[in-house]
Amino acid sequence: MGSFDDVLADIMADIDSVFLFSPNGAFYERFADEENVVVVAGENTVDAETFVELPIEFTDIKDRIRFGIEGAMDQDLVEEGNTVACFGSIFNGEVDSAVRVRVSEDLRSGLYDLFTNSRADPNVIRDVFDVALELGRKGQKGSPVGALFVVGDAGKVMNKSRPLSYNPFEKSHVHVGDPIVNVMLKEFSRLDGAFVISDSGKIVSAYRYLEPSAEGIDIPKGLGARHMAGGAITRDTNATAIVLSESDGLVRAFKGGELILELDPEEH
Amino acid sequence: MSALQFAVPEWLAVVSPRWWIAVGIVLLGIGLGYLTMRLGRRLLHRLGINEAVEGTAVERAAGEYGTSTVGLLTKLAGYFVILLSVFIAGTFTNIQFADLFLRAAAVFLPQLAVALLILVVGIIIGDKIEVLVAERLRGIKLPEIGVIPATARYSVLFVATLIALGQVGVATTALIVLLGAYAVALIVFTAIATQELLASGAVGVYLLLTEPYSIGDEVAVAGQRGIVQEIDLFVTRIDTDDEEHIIPNRTVLRDGIVRIH
Repeated sequence: MGSFDDVLADIMADIDSVFLFSPNGAFYERFADEENVVVVAGENTVDAETFVELPIEFTDIKDRIRFGIEGAMDQDLVEEGNTVACFGSIFNGEVDSAVRVRVSEDLRSGLYDLFTNSRADPNVIRDVFDVALELGRKGQKGSPVGALFVVGDAGKVMNKSRPLSYNPFEKSHVHVGDPIVNVMLKEFSRLDGAFVISDSGKIVSAYRYLEPSAEGIDIPKGLGARHMAGGAITRDTNATAIVLSESDGLVRAFKGGELILELDPEEH
Repeated sequence: MSALQFAVPEWLAVVSPRWWIAVGIVLLGIGLGYLTMRLGRRLLHRLGINEAVEGTAVERAAGEYGTSTVGLLTKLAGYFVILLSVFIAGTFTNIQFADLFLRAAAVFLPQLAVALLILVVGIIIGDKIEVLVAERLRGIKLPEIGVIPATARYSVLFVATLIALGQVGVATTALIVLLGAYAVALIVFTAIATQELLASGAVGVYLLLTEPYSIGDEVAVAGQRGIVQEIDLFVTRIDTDDEEHIIPNRTVLRDGIVRIH
């Protein structure tokens, strides 16, 4: 037993602050007299003073921790060189893991900025993720579909693209997150081209052919024209592109021309 | 033995039989009052009052004094029955000096009891509404939002107080006038404060319905040239190279808009 405790003590030595990932009330109470406690969760259920909101439940524990630490860095709760201890759950619900992380600028992958510092409203980005993930899970009539959503900076995006056909969303006032939208988007995802969504979540257009210059855009090899177009438009505008791949079924997010996040719909 | 048998009626006869009837009525009243409390408690439990008032301030206050809302209500009813029996008993005794007072009280006391009941029910409903409204608004993260549940609660309390005072016969006209004055002031000030918003909103409805220009169009409004980023009910957002102009919709209609092809 002694060596277990030693290992744990080594991991938890010289901690500057403690990160609790989606703690329940009782677990949070145990840290009541600690000074630097940061709660990272989808909702602040324990009324913590320092809180980082998770927009989606990242199944990848690395993404979750990265997001929490980036958020804390953004709020000046931790700074470079600090060591933090993270408590969270990898499997089902219970706190089952302790992770020691050294805060450094290298951790900044833009994941936090993707949600909070984008032009579009954070809720809108989250809703689009939800739609893309659901589309990835269910597909269109059982067969996998691909889709490209360009979120935010809709005016510029519209200017850098052109219609492939009549815009089914013209003069309609449909917002992502409306209950009927998932079905509509699923139907329209059969069409080629991109969905353009405004900062406030209004679906401006479907059937858009994006015409950014893709020169110098570096996306992982093996991804097709849809990802290339999505990545490229985010470099030319302040938009965020959320792409559902038809071939491997993953949802990817691009911002500033770079791949920021990769999610597997099956795990969400 | 026989002396004892006679002694009791003799002792009984010291006070008039009216008194004995009166005492009997009071005892019956106490019994009925107790029964009212028991039955009332069961009825209220059956009606689910306990769940309905859970979390309200009345329930918490009652809990501090070792009772509950249901206990409070049933006690009120029980005491009322006992009090009533005392008055009925009073009419059987020939006490002249109390007669006048009792007659006035017999009219007034039921009213008072009803007024109290209205007040208690008003407080409970007010609390419950506050809790319900607060729950509804919990999603909205705004510190000032706490005013709305409180306003709802005090409105209900105000109305309950008015009704209760009306029951007892207190003149409430002044209070109603005061409320009217507040309401008028609120409406007038809101209308003045929001006239710009209302005008923009009306234009916004027109713009959203007919879409004379849409997101992505290059336009010039009020001397500003740029790309339309967003149209909502109140404002239109127009982007130039490094600036974003937020233009109220009423300006758009008043000054007109130039679409640039």
